[in-house]
Amino acid sequence: MSELRDPRKTFGAAVAEVAEKDKRIVVLSADSGGSSGFKQFAADHPDRYYEFGIMEQGVTGIASGMATVGKIPVFCAIAPFVTCRSYEMFRNDLGYMKQNVKIVGRNGGFTYSDLGATHHSLEDFAIMRMVPGAVVLCPQDPGEIRQAVRAMLAHDGPVYMRIGNPPIPELFPEQPFEIGKGRVLREGDDLTIISTGTCTKEVLEAAEMLSEKGLDVRVIGMPTIAPIDVDIIRKAAKETKRIVTVEEHYVHGGLGSAVAEVVTEYCPVPVKMIGVPRVYAVTGPYNELLHYYGLDAEGILKTVSEFAAKQHS
Amino acid sequence: MDRLKQKELELIAGRCRRNVLRMIEAGHHGHMGGALSCIDIVTYLYFRGMKIDPRNPEWEERDRFLLSAGHKCMAQYAVLAEKGYFAKEVLDTYGSLHSYIPGHPDMHKLAGIEANTGALGHGLSIATGMALGLKDSGKNARVYVVMGDGELAEGSNWEAAAAAAHHHADNLIVFVDFNGLQISGRVQDVMNMTPISEKFRAFGWNVQDIDGNNMREIEAALKMTVSDNHNKPSAIIAHTVKAKGISFAENKAQYHFWTPKQGELEAAVREIEDNIQRLEKEVQKLCQN
Repeated sequence: MSELRDPRKTFGAAVAEVAEKDKRIVVLSADSGGSSGFKQFAADHPDRYYEFGIMEQGVTGIASGMATVGKIPVFCAIAPFVTCRSYEMFRNDLGYMKQNVKIVGRNGGFTYSDLGATHHSLEDFAIMRMVPGAVVLCPQDPGEIRQAVRAMLAHDGPVYMRIGNPPIPELFPEQPFEIGKGRVLREGDDLTIISTGTCTKEVLEAAEMLSEKGLDVRVIGMPTIAPIDVDIIRKAAKETKRIVTVEEHYVHGGLGSAVAEVVTEYCPVPVKMIGVPRVYAVTGPYNELLHYYGLDAEGILKTVSEFAAKQHS
Repeated sequence: MDRLKQKELELIAGRCRRNVLRMIEAGHHGHMGGALSCIDIVTYLYFRGMKIDPRNPEWEERDRFLLSAGHKCMAQYAVLAEKGYFAKEVLDTYGSLHSYIPGHPDMHKLAGIEANTGALGHGLSIATGMALGLKDSGKNARVYVVMGDGELAEGSNWEAAAAAAHHHADNLIVFVDFNGLQISGRVQDVMNMTPISEKFRAFGWNVQDIDGNNMREIEAALKMTVSDNHNKPSAIIAHTVKAKGISFAENKAQYHFWTPKQGELEAAVREIEDNIQRLEKEVQKLCQN
């Protein structure tokens, strides 16, 4: 396992690197910039760093206005506050107006585990992917965060990206990021697991254990929730006949739903969605929450094994 | 402002009011009350106040105009048509399928529209971002906003009000179309946001109270926002009359959204056209003198 990296610092440094060359990029903070990896950027570029205090609705609208005059605003804060709270601003001021603004929800999922449900974000994929034209990203490791930042800043239009908080390892060699494309991380023909965000680390571990049990699992990493990669899903459904989705999100509305929408329309096969049931999640240490909701390798192994057995019976 | 200029602007505003009625004729309904209370301000801005070029609506140096209270869009459509942004025949498509002039403005459909407003409480934030972006890009352009008074109950406005003052957006000028009425009744009864002036002043804005249906007062107030802005954004609390110009509808909340009853539209057209004729004569007379 590689060295663990802070996703927020990785993100902030990646934005700063692109912003060195692209002077249109400005960073907006709702008392959130320092914790979003922008301490250095704020010190280096005070003229391109705007502090607004705790007003996520206002900042989202302000970002829209700045985009109309050619700026590329990046606004990062705690995930529920830049998705749920300011949703109408994202929908109207960014989506409907087609503005070139990047909204980043950090500490996404339930990585703010013990702070409770107010600080969890388990519906962000569901609501953000409903905005026409909006891109929804959830990179899986530090290298992919770096590459996704470059892709998101090069993309002309509204983007929502979710990153977490706990340090994460590099899972695969860094390579250019293409919005809307998943990639096969492990070949296999018995069943496909499609995963997003940091869940992919647990999925890869589970796949290894499944392989030892004789189940040859394909793993697809899906860092773009919207637009979803239709081709890779159709191919997997056709070739492996069964799909499991894994995400740190409600089982409803997120990656699993996006995959199921494709599967039911083009290539009906059984789909099992692994995620959090639609409840206000329990609180406690992050790893224990993952375990509680069956989102660690052990839980994924169990659910996939049961699903595979059921399909055979 | 001399009397001729004043009457000329009043005449243009009269023609714009007629354009509003033309849209109602086409669409059979619309947010008339607020459109007619703010239309003198919108007319002044496009015909005298703003740095714009109707032949080049995307001109980077232009002043920007946002209707935060997007439901008053018939006022803006009426003025844009009068100013030559689009052919007046487009007014006849109001309410029809795929119209360029929907019931709330859409920047991707019509040149001259700067933001997709309609959901209240969004415009001031967008305008603040525009104003800061323009300033920091070294552009000498201003951003003008017309807000509703009922709209002030939306909390997001006050986030923007704080941000604009904190970041010294002195190129931001807000008109509050204070006609005192919203859809359910008097603003003070529905949710009392008065005193409005003191609220903006407390947030760090320059504030003036004017008669918002008076061209001279609009001009004088705007001059102050340039000469005496103390590096602050400016709020002009424009005391206006809802449905101004249609006497049977003036100051009545039920004309916020108007589906004309039998005879109403004809009576309104008669009154507005009579007023246009009167102003034409006045202007002609002043020109001869």
